[in-house]
Amino acid sequence: MADPVEKLLETVCNDSRSFCVGEILVRKTSTGGFALSHRDDKATDQLKIFRSAEDAIDIAKHDDAGNYRPLKTAPKLRHGWRLDLETLEDLRRALDYFYPGRLAMFAAWKSDKLQITPLRETLERQSGMYRAAARISDSQINDVVADFCRSNGGCLRTILWKRDAEEVIASTKLPKEKFDPAYDQMMASKPPGSPTPATAPIPATIPLLCQEACNLLIAECRKVMKGE
Amino acid sequence: MVNYLVTLRTDAALLIVAHGSTVNADSSAPTLAHAAEIRRREIFADVECAFWKEEPSLRDAVFLFDPESIREVCVVPNFISEGYFSQTVVPRELELYGRITKRSNGQIWRYCEPVGNHPIMTDLLLRRAQEIAPGVPKNEATLLIVAHGTDLNENSAVAAKREAEKIRSLGKYSAVLNVYMEEPPLVSEWRKLTKTRNVVVVPFFISDGLHSYEDIPVLLGIVVAAGGGCGQPGSALPATAAPGEIFRHNPYRVDNRSIFYAPSIGTDAGFADIILEQALNAKS
Ligand code: SF4
Repeated sequence: MADPVEKLLETVCNDSRSFCVGEILVRKTSTGGFALSHRDDKATDQLKIFRSAEDAIDIAKHDDAGNYRPLKTAPKLRHGWRLDLETLEDLRRALDYFYPGRLAMFAAWKSDKLQITPLRETLERQSGMYRAAARISDSQINDVVADFCRSNGGCLRTILWKRDAEEVIASTKLPKEKFDPAYDQMMASKPPGSPTPATAPIPATIPLLCQEACNLLIAECRKVMKGE
Repeated sequence: MVNYLVTLRTDAALLIVAHGSTVNADSSAPTLAHAAEIRRREIFADVECAFWKEEPSLRDAVFLFDPESIREVCVVPNFISEGYFSQTVVPRELELYGRITKRSNGQIWRYCEPVGNHPIMTDLLLRRAQEIAPGVPKNEATLLIVAHGTDLNENSAVAAKREAEKIRSLGKYSAVLNVYMEEPPLVSEWRKLTKTRNVVVVPFFISDGLHSYEDIPVLLGIVVAAGGGCGQPGSALPATAAPGEIFRHNPYRVDNRSIFYAPSIGTDAGFADIILEQALNAKS
């Protein structure tokens, strides 16, 4: 039974021989399967080969330096691996381990079913130790979001939420592309002069959407209020 | 029963919710493994996980199931006990109002009991204790169920006490004690609390992490705290050993006694059965 996520993947796979999701490049193989790797490793031959969708759990867990990655959409996916998968179901499962929930959010967004929650609403809803985060000022939000969510070193998601019910932009310090699902956030994550030439053809990209501020950003807002 | 399962397969999904962690890389591993096992059994049309501190978030979970094909979602909290997370955070984040919530898209969400509340938990603890100390006569052994204690958010101490009482009433072990890391009876006092030559220790946690890899072993004296050097030859691992290594060197000999130390109960594959049971209980 093809649900919206599978249909979405099917469409993307039918339209192009390769596509990107965050830092991952997905290539269709001649045998009808899929080969996944880090986008930076596109031209690298000496990759460690994995063959199970479940292997994605471990690949995604630590960065190149061995640090745990609590935020899977942070641009710190480790290098040096290739994941060979046979079926679309395996591909779906693996991508869901790399970027948990993101395909489903994209499918819901495409069919107008994704509810977007302003940051202030998320902050107001908190209880316990996170209640303090709600006291953060608008200008502090402007700074924290710019620093924490930036695609270059922070997080590769496209921000859909606004600061508050008045629809104020989440941070004026972020480039407008950060809010554009059609934009490939990896382009912004590359430091100037990086090996990927701006003129290189960009494969189709499934955006990683952020419809509501994550717990880590709320924790960051709390830290600001606690002066940590 | 068969019809019932067929109904589940076609239009029902299972959502396992857990705490997750921003610092412990192994926190979500058991939950993901249980989900993969349940998925393999093909009882539900879809099986997903959501976490308070990891992705997908509890807020994402509301949009994980296509309302056209999934009419019902069973939510099972992978928590050792009722508490702040299962009673306050999860319902709030998932927008659940009581045991049954009907969404505007017509989807029914059933909020099930946390895994720790299920009676099978007692069997799992017994099985784990048996596996970790095979051949050890139970009437010459004390079983310690270790919980955190003084955790404001969870009632794990109460749950550990309940399980210890249930196992004690079976009369298999010489003694069964609930002990805590941060409140009496303290796990660090095990020498005084136990009288048998053999001591079997099962951490009552949902996943392995700092508590089971390091804190409890230090409190038991089977490893020394980081920076404190190595213990007696043959009796202790350096605290810097790889996570999980600590469970592979049983028994530990401390003060002429044998300690058998198990991984956290939540890593037991039997949790998949409990999660399923809780989901099916909510349906009936
Ligand atoms: S709030 Fe969204 S964009 Fe910002 S860090 Fe969290 S997930 Fe990324």
